[in-house]
Amino acid sequence: MDISAFLLFWAAVFTSNILLTNFLGMCSYLSVSKEVESSLGLGVAVTFVLVFTTALNWLAHHYILVPLNIVYLEYIVFIIVIAAFVQLLELIVERYAPALYYTLGIFLPLITVNCAIFGVSLFMVIRNYNFLQSIAFGAGSGLGWLLAILMLAGIRAKLKEKLIPAGLQGVGISLIVTGIMALAFVGFSGVAPIQ
Amino acid sequence: MLATIFKDIGALTAISGLLAVVLVLAERIFNNYGQCKININGKRDIEVKGGNNLLASLSDKQIYLPSACGGRGSCGACKCKVLEGGGPLLPTEKPFLSKAELAAGVRLSCQIKVKSDIAVEIPDSIFNIRRFDATIAEIIDYTHDTKGITFVLEPGESIDFKAGQYVQLLTEPYAKVRQRVSRAYSISSKPEDKDRLQLIIRLVPEGICTTWVHQYLKVGDKVSFTGPYGDFYLRDTDADILFVAGGSGKAPIKSILEHLEVVGTQRKMTYFFGARTLKDLYLTEEMRALEKVFPDFHYEPVLSQPAPDDNWSGKTGYVMRHFPDVIRDPQNTEAYLCGSPGMIDAVIKALTGLGVAKDKIYYDSFG
Amino acid sequence: MKPTAKELKIIQRMQPGVITLSGFLGSDTRALNEVIADDAAQLNRLGKTAEEIAARMEYFTQKSWNSYLDGELVDGKYQVKTDVYRGKLPCPFGHIGVYRKALTTLTNTANGLSVTWTSLNTHMIGSHGFFEGEGSPFHLDPQILVRALFE
Repeated sequence: MDISAFLLFWAAVFTSNILLTNFLGMCSYLSVSKEVESSLGLGVAVTFVLVFTTALNWLAHHYILVPLNIVYLEYIVFIIVIAAFVQLLELIVERYAPALYYTLGIFLPLITVNCAIFGVSLFMVIRNYNFLQSIAFGAGSGLGWLLAILMLAGIRAKLKEKLIPAGLQGVGISLIVTGIMALAFVGFSGVAPIQ
Repeated sequence: MLATIFKDIGALTAISGLLAVVLVLAERIFNNYGQCKININGKRDIEVKGGNNLLASLSDKQIYLPSACGGRGSCGACKCKVLEGGGPLLPTEKPFLSKAELAAGVRLSCQIKVKSDIAVEIPDSIFNIRRFDATIAEIIDYTHDTKGITFVLEPGESIDFKAGQYVQLLTEPYAKVRQRVSRAYSISSKPEDKDRLQLIIRLVPEGICTTWVHQYLKVGDKVSFTGPYGDFYLRDTDADILFVAGGSGKAPIKSILEHLEVVGTQRKMTYFFGARTLKDLYLTEEMRALEKVFPDFHYEPVLSQPAPDDNWSGKTGYVMRHFPDVIRDPQNTEAYLCGSPGMIDAVIKALTGLGVAKDKIYYDSFG
Repeated sequence: MKPTAKELKIIQRMQPGVITLSGFLGSDTRALNEVIADDAAQLNRLGKTAEEIAARMEYFTQKSWNSYLDGELVDGKYQVKTDVYRGKLPCPFGHIGVYRKALTTLTNTANGLSVTWTSLNTHMIGSHGFFEGEGSPFHLDPQILVRALFE
């Protein structure tokens, strides 16, 4: 695919937002978006992990899975790589950047099971991105996810003072809000098609 | 075909193996905090291996903060005050802490990792719960099925408890019993004796622990127990006191009275001990002697069915019917009860009927 | 029939020294399910259900609860007394909850039969149809029990 890495990055943030167009990474999106502060922490952690795991998985795909002809095992390999990386990152951050660990590190275990991370690695392979494109796509997807959760957290903070029917409180109203947000983002989709 | 399978499995195994090795090494390097010191209440230092959470580090040293979720940060029970070395407050703790607690430095011990020396404050009632090793110094037969047993702690050890509290005795395997059990018994000696304590233990038919105590233990044997536990203890007020006991329920009240003997009291106290016949009474001489120690204390054994040859001239029937004679002001009376649940139920009913406030009635109803 | 893993666990808890000193099976050589089946068959002949018997036992325990020292003459002919000891025991069948060490002794003055049971007996009869193995200290013979409780 010949699309510049720069364009891909912005496309991943806005027009093809991983959360709002693919609805990936919903669990932590819904559960953590209660507070703006935590949302920011989780969003940064997701972005960081996305950049590194897409890079690692790209390398694993092109230098291990393809040569050995075991591409069909990529699901397992990608998941193991993501899990191991997150674990390693947690250990390092906790030791050398305690301040960062306390703002972001505690979200790391949540990320291991975040499907947006895994989804980005799979898209990268399906769409045949090169190494640079993959990193741009990973970073963009992460920022896009951060943007989405921050917006929802902001809206939910305002919703706290509003009257909402009992049955819709919490997850219900959050999903409706997310749907409306997704509609808005779909409006951008013609600007830079990437899929 | 077979070769492909082996190659693919081999590749996958190699990848996971490699990552596992990396993680193991990383754990060794990055998660090694060496030995850390935990200072508790400014009194005691304990050495632990760094890297574990505070809750687990403390329980390794037999200090058990309450925890209902097992350290997953979802129950909020394991709070304790961290004076120094706890690191910044975590978002996972915040929802469980009130404004006052935040200001006081209260933290969730399961969320804090011990990475350096740390100073904490733990309520004495929890801090004092420990495991003790002791040697049996004396065994007294009080009645045909009740013994008083004195345990002396290891040299240098001491126990802090409130008169009225209990300990859990741990059994050793014996005869057909292959596993250890723990059973609760009230302490009957005074808290001022810090190097020893006495338990009054009544033989329970088919009881694993009481059978062990009654038939196998002898002076000089070594045993272990944990404690002290319980919120049945004397309240420090000026109100009149009514003690009511039955069976082995004498133990905590003996402890309270002996404690009062040391610290002295002017309170009006009456002690009813309900039993069936004369042979169920014990410690009568000791209680009579205490009547001379306190300015206003009366010991009243009450027999429900005195045998003809008991020549009983004391009070008869159930203890409840004698309450009106001794309660001079129900508003200003505290009651301390220890005995069977049937007795406790009946006594509470009688006392509230006489106007004693329910929250002034303290009892220990056999767990 | 071979006992299942669950039954093995129950049998293990019924051994001497696990929950009580002498266990629940006594010197009985029958398998646990046979003990229960034999007693059920006997109850059938006697025309009583295990639940009825347990309810009757509970009735007497409650009636004698407050006369903790001397016991009580219930319904004119049952002399009942309940002694409570400190502590509680779990059910060997793995039920959630614990049962007081309360020993109720009942003497039927009409036929002279006397039986003693614990809170755990009442529970095990009512919920599991288990009267304990022969030779166990708290074994209750269904026939004697029914005669003592109902005659």
